Amino acid sequence: MNIIMPQLGETVAEGTVSAWHVKEGDQVKKDQPLLDVETDKASTEVPSPVEGTVVEIRVNVGETVDVGATLAVIDDGNLADSKEVTEKTADHQSSSNDEVAIQAKKDHVNSPVGRESASGVLSPAVRRLIAEHHLDPSAITGTGRDGRITRQDVEKYLSAPSQTQEPKPSAPSSLKPGSEVFTRVQKITAEHMVHSKTTSPHVLQSMEIDFSAVDRHRLSSKDQWKKDQGTSLTYLPYIAKAVTIALDAYPRLNSTIADYPQNPSLSINGEINLSIAVAVEGNELVVPVIHNANQLSVSELALKIKDLSERARTKRLTPDLMQGGTYTLSNNGSFGTLFTAPIINQPQVAILSIDRIKKQATVIENETGDSLAIRPMGILSQSFDHRAIDGAYSGGFLLKLKSVLEDSNWQDIF
Amino acid sequence: MAELTYRDAVAAAIAQEMRRDPNVVFLGEDIAAAGGVFKATQGLLDEFGPDRVKDTPISEQAIIGAAMGAAMTGLKPIAEIMFSDFFAVCWDLVANQIAKTRYMSDGQCSFPLVIRSANGGGSRFGAQHSQSIENWAMSIPGLKVVAPSCASDVKGLLAASIRDPDPVLFFEQKSLYALKDEVPFEEYVTPLGEAKVIRQGTDVTIVALAAMVQRAIKAADTLQESHGISASVIDLRSLVPLDTKTVLEDVSKTGRLITVEENPRLCGWGAEVSSIVSEELFWKLDGPIVRVTTPHIPLAAADALEDAMMPSAEKIIEATLKLVD
Amino acid sequence: MLEKRAYDLFMQNLIKGTSHLSIGQEAVAAGFGAAMRSDDYTFCTYRGHNHTYVRGTSMTSILGELMGRECGLLRGKGGSMHLMSMEHGALGSYAIIGAHMPIAAGAAWSAKYRGTEQVAVCFFGDGTTNIGAFHEAINFAVIWKLPVIFVCENNRYMEYTPIEAVTAVKNPAADRASAYGLEPILIDGNDVEIVYETANKAYDRARAGEGPSLIEVQTYRHHGHSRADPGKYRPDAEVEEWMKKDPIPNYRQKILEAGIPESEIKALEDKIDQMIDDATEEAKNSPTPPVDIAFIDVWADGGASWRN
Repeated sequence: MNIIMPQLGETVAEGTVSAWHVKEGDQVKKDQPLLDVETDKASTEVPSPVEGTVVEIRVNVGETVDVGATLAVIDDGNLADSKEVTEKTADHQSSSNDEVAIQAKKDHVNSPVGRESASGVLSPAVRRLIAEHHLDPSAITGTGRDGRITRQDVEKYLSAPSQTQEPKPSAPSSLKPGSEVFTRVQKITAEHMVHSKTTSPHVLQSMEIDFSAVDRHRLSSKDQWKKDQGTSLTYLPYIAKAVTIALDAYPRLNSTIADYPQNPSLSINGEINLSIAVAVEGNELVVPVIHNANQLSVSELALKIKDLSERARTKRLTPDLMQGGTYTLSNNGSFGTLFTAPIINQPQVAILSIDRIKKQATVIENETGDSLAIRPMGILSQSFDHRAIDGAYSGGFLLKLKSVLEDSNWQDIF
Repeated sequence: MAELTYRDAVAAAIAQEMRRDPNVVFLGEDIAAAGGVFKATQGLLDEFGPDRVKDTPISEQAIIGAAMGAAMTGLKPIAEIMFSDFFAVCWDLVANQIAKTRYMSDGQCSFPLVIRSANGGGSRFGAQHSQSIENWAMSIPGLKVVAPSCASDVKGLLAASIRDPDPVLFFEQKSLYALKDEVPFEEYVTPLGEAKVIRQGTDVTIVALAAMVQRAIKAADTLQESHGISASVIDLRSLVPLDTKTVLEDVSKTGRLITVEENPRLCGWGAEVSSIVSEELFWKLDGPIVRVTTPHIPLAAADALEDAMMPSAEKIIEATLKLVD
Repeated sequence: MLEKRAYDLFMQNLIKGTSHLSIGQEAVAAGFGAAMRSDDYTFCTYRGHNHTYVRGTSMTSILGELMGRECGLLRGKGGSMHLMSMEHGALGSYAIIGAHMPIAAGAAWSAKYRGTEQVAVCFFGDGTTNIGAFHEAINFAVIWKLPVIFVCENNRYMEYTPIEAVTAVKNPAADRASAYGLEPILIDGNDVEIVYETANKAYDRARAGEGPSLIEVQTYRHHGHSRADPGKYRPDAEVEEWMKKDPIPNYRQKILEAGIPESEIKALEDKIDQMIDDATEEAKNSPTPPVDIAFIDVWADGGASWRN
């Protein structure tokens, strides 16, 4: 059985081995962690898909290989079958990434759901370590009886180098004093940004939204929410809900362009999978995905966002949570910015920036006379790929978005 | 070094201390002329004479009372209670008088005495001659309690007990009397209140006392060889003073504790150790604390029955396998 | 008189707990006290205030101990029933019936072993003659020929019960002496001179290495067994008769008749009264002991710890 480099995110074409947990000759059980791999998007543990013996380790710590490359070979009694299967090299072009993603996914090991501690029972030692280090128990593999997490399991998890933030930067040749070499993550991010801007002609369109209808519900619910969930109820889930409704009406914004410029075609995605950009430590941006976001209520979206943010912050996003996004929300509100022109997350065709929502004086027009009111106002800014749609289409989408946000009965759809 | 049996180490220690200090005297039933019913005190009458090594009538209260009176007036008596079960006959002198008089007198007097007795089962003597009563003594403030597991500890700990300025109840495990061990010739003292780490392991800490120590070692060996489980084995040696530090240090590394006690279940010394560990190391425990003890039933006489009741290496292994994932 | 003061203080609630007065039995302690040497040992029961005092402890320390004050003989740690003063040879008052008999034998053994001429005297009541330790201790002392004097103060009541009702023989101690090969000795415990002479003989015997003695002194206590007991189980006539034999006034009369001037006796009595008053004041003014002394002196090094 070949263990191959997984694809963590559809624009990812390669990965780096950051730590091995086994060595050649070791006996491994199914779901036992084999190694940690790292890409610009995420770090993750790769568990063993089978029980067997590690007969060969092909890639060393620190080495970067393409998605699909064989990292190790495990003898599970079926060695004859596990010849070189698919060692596909990924195509850096975004258009071929879907294909690669599908292929790699077939060969890729199942996402390690087995990490959920089967018995769920945490001993005092384990509970204390988890509390001290802010861990998610579902991300720790339990090797104890009935899959329980033992203290050694937690200690091992904590000492795994994938928990560290940065990969080792490459040695600088001649640097000006005071300059910083790009980390691997920074390098790859830069490449993607340049690629996106040179691929898609970006147009920015903004809409000012009155959030008082949202606030009527949000403010009356946030205390109970805080009590129940332990987190704040923000505008984000409301906006996410509104976006899915608007995308349903304007599906071309939820699509992807294939084979440009040779034989371009626009395919509308069957699902609405919202990518939510989350800032994590070290100025990194991680973009986990809420699949089928249109099927979720506002509260369900809020819980999902909370979960993904925590996973992103603790570097425990699994590949399936990183892939398949069809439209991106970028939440910049915390900085107080007025509006932002975000960069499209390829191979999507549009991205929405949420900036500050602030109480402002605004004019309410009325038949009986205009008046001034203080309302929470915010600007939503959409960058769209002008190959896919035009300004009228985008404008329609934004108008729809506005009316959903301002006129919905949030109590009903929360 | 000599190879000495557990029983010979008793006589050796008493002789050593009697040579060293003319105030050490020894009294008990059949301890002088007969050299003790367990032959643990042979040769002492010959060497030290009938003024210092005295046979008594069957009068436990008189024996212990006399030891107390002598101790408070300048002597260092060693008294023998033949079977530790017989402490029940003179428990007033031990628990009410010896243990408390120094305190009640505001420190005016002290009692540098040792009461040694043959304790525990495994010898098919039946329920009234096989009890492990260390916990009776442990539960009375003012008494020191010692229970060695091997001849070298007997010599060192008995010497320490005789030199100790406080009352010491020295429990010899009667089924260990024939057990041989390398014992240094020279004079040495093993301080009270120091446990001995016999094995250092990583997965579980096994704490045992007296006759249970050998069984714990045997279990630890099997656990390592056949199950890949690495167990620490600690011989407590003293119950009062109790070396909690050594136990806590080891359990904080392994996260798991098993006590192996010959006493019947209720209020055995392991209950106190468990309580201390669970209170002071709660956040380091990776599993429940387990006590392997004789059940709370009088000990039967027949060999098959007695063996089935007392903790064995197999029972320790079984408990460990249940505890360690 | 010290005891009477103790009684008064108990009634004023300055003495807590319990207290066992030996008013009426003073001749015994006094007689033996005069006969013994300063390096001899005494062991007595919880009814031992006088026996302890007779060894030379101060009145203040006794009253103070009864009142639980810092000036107490034991700083309040032992209480009325456990008065002890090692430096005066008062090796303790013992509250468990009979326990101190073998302990006294042990102290005697120690003296014999060390070759001194010290003798241990052990005071106990009639009730004690029926407990196991009595028999063990006497047998033990006889076979080892120990210099110990066992003194049974027969005040005719074992706590609340007449002694005849619970004893197989008429004279609870004297009638058992021969069972241990000892000479039966039965004397009037309220005649201090008789007590003194008998004591002297016993001390001589012990010091000569002839072994123990068992002496029964017949006496009576004026009050109940303990402070809680008003002693109403005793027939009035009996009490009246024994009150006539009160040792102190009787002895007073005797020495007066022997020629000691009244004024001297009165001066002595006044002096004693003053001593008692002074001691009472001093004890009353003594503070309660500091709480931290409750946590020391379990072990010889002063500590109380059982673990590291």
